[in-house]
Amino acid sequence: MNKQTLLAYCLLLPGLGLIIVFIFVIISMALAQSVGYFNFSGSSTFTWQFWQQILADHQLSRAFFYSLKIATISAILSVSFAYPLALWLRDPFRGSQFVSSLLKAPLLVHGLVAAFLYVNFISFNGFLNQIFVHLGLVSRPIRMQNDSYGIGVIILQVWKQMPFALLLLTGAVQSIGHDITDAAKDLGAGAWTRFVKIILPLTLKALQAALIIIFIGAAGDYSFQIVAGPIDVSSLAQLMLRIQANDANGWNLSATVAILLMLTALIGSALLALITQQVIKWGAKR
Amino acid sequence: MNKPCTNRLITLLVIGFCCISLVLPFSLAMLWSLVDPGHPWSYPHILPPVLSLQRWVDIWTTTSLPQALLHSYLLAPCVALCSVLLALPTAYAFGRLEFPGKQAAQLISLLPLIVPSFVVALFFSSLLNVLGIYSRFLGILIGQTVLFIPYAIRILSVSFSLIRQEIIDATRDLGGGPITVFKTAYLPVLKPGLLASIIMIFILSIEEFAIAFVVGSPDFVTVPTILYSYLGYNFIRSNAAVVSLILVVPNIFLMLLMERFLKARNTAVITGKG
Repeated sequence: MNKQTLLAYCLLLPGLGLIIVFIFVIISMALAQSVGYFNFSGSSTFTWQFWQQILADHQLSRAFFYSLKIATISAILSVSFAYPLALWLRDPFRGSQFVSSLLKAPLLVHGLVAAFLYVNFISFNGFLNQIFVHLGLVSRPIRMQNDSYGIGVIILQVWKQMPFALLLLTGAVQSIGHDITDAAKDLGAGAWTRFVKIILPLTLKALQAALIIIFIGAAGDYSFQIVAGPIDVSSLAQLMLRIQANDANGWNLSATVAILLMLTALIGSALLALITQQVIKWGAKR
Repeated sequence: MNKPCTNRLITLLVIGFCCISLVLPFSLAMLWSLVDPGHPWSYPHILPPVLSLQRWVDIWTTTSLPQALLHSYLLAPCVALCSVLLALPTAYAFGRLEFPGKQAAQLISLLPLIVPSFVVALFFSSLLNVLGIYSRFLGILIGQTVLFIPYAIRILSVSFSLIRQEIIDATRDLGGGPITVFKTAYLPVLKPGLLASIIMIFILSIEEFAIAFVVGSPDFVTVPTILYSYLGYNFIRSNAAVVSLILVVPNIFLMLLMERFLKARNTAVITGKG
């Protein structure tokens, strides 16, 4: 190894080294506790008991499918709203800078604050209901808070994450040269064909990055779920924290949920990215 | 329809949407924070009957908000400083050196952003138990520091890569020692990046909820955890409105400041002067 490489590796230690050790230890901690080690009370021995117990629990399967649903829908909706906006903002026009900063404003709003603003807006005694009643649309306020489909959570996720997708996609769309799209136009390709055959394949990497990051964030969501989510079903993160606090074997059982949550986030986002790639390839070839 | 016309129409739509999704909810939060406790705001009042600052006074004098603010604003500069200091060597390696496995290393540095934050928080708290670290402040400080290093690495590696070798060489040729080289070639280009990453991590730390909640609760409160306590099962609307505003408003100003530093980067690169 030459001197510069050695120097580089040494320089990586305090920053990157620390990150690797930290994440490695935390994941190992979760793995070890899920099979019965590092117990804070009682003996620590290897056992599959906690995995068997949690996998048989119907709460887990409900939380798993619920988190999967929220994450998938949020990721797809966020990029679907972001694409047309990114294409629209591709060429600067008067006021485009202003519009683009307006659209990115939700990035500055804390998740819990966003959840509060939303709940405050739609609650039983909230503004929306007041307006509905005053306009005579309904005779008495309707209950919209904590809807059982998780629509509130999806609205919040998309509101908060769409700007992020927009940020990634705007960069990608802007880097496509006009000569390519113009050439396609000259050859008679309509707007949709240009989008499917040129824009989508050329922005695939950014699209996948946006999908992956939004999916992982939404799959691990706790804050939106606890404030605006359904009462009768938990997200995986919520289930993990609740089990840890309430169950006698809380640490071990929550460790199994933690591992399942990480696997869901990783495998789910990878699958979503892969499927998107296949669909886009198929669309471009057609 | 011609293009400018379409642009104007969509711009109006976006502005309308922002009014409904940002301006209106924030105005409502503002109003809720000003509702007089003696005159509740309920049906059929479209607007609060009496406005006063009583809620702000009450929440300041009767809850642990002052303590939460103290904790948050003490933690944030410490986290920012530690993260930036720890990130500097790695950022230098990413920005100025070529070595095998650099791309993989850059990807791995994003690990904390990929692992769900509540998993990190929960098993970090379990790790603190095993290690016997019972100080909440220290625990949250360590956790947030490591969690935010990637942001500092990203901003600072760009800063390091922008430093021009000619200026370093020229300073050396003119007889400048390491300190002079650092002052002339490195510092002017690094300064905006340094300030931007410090502010960025400051904001992230103030806003961080997972670790502060899992490690800190119930006795160590920060601004987000106190906001959380007013949401959920005991939804205290006026208090939540006050804390929301306290959480959001300072950070927006800090963010604008950070954007200025990042924009200043270009001039620093061209002129070599900060």
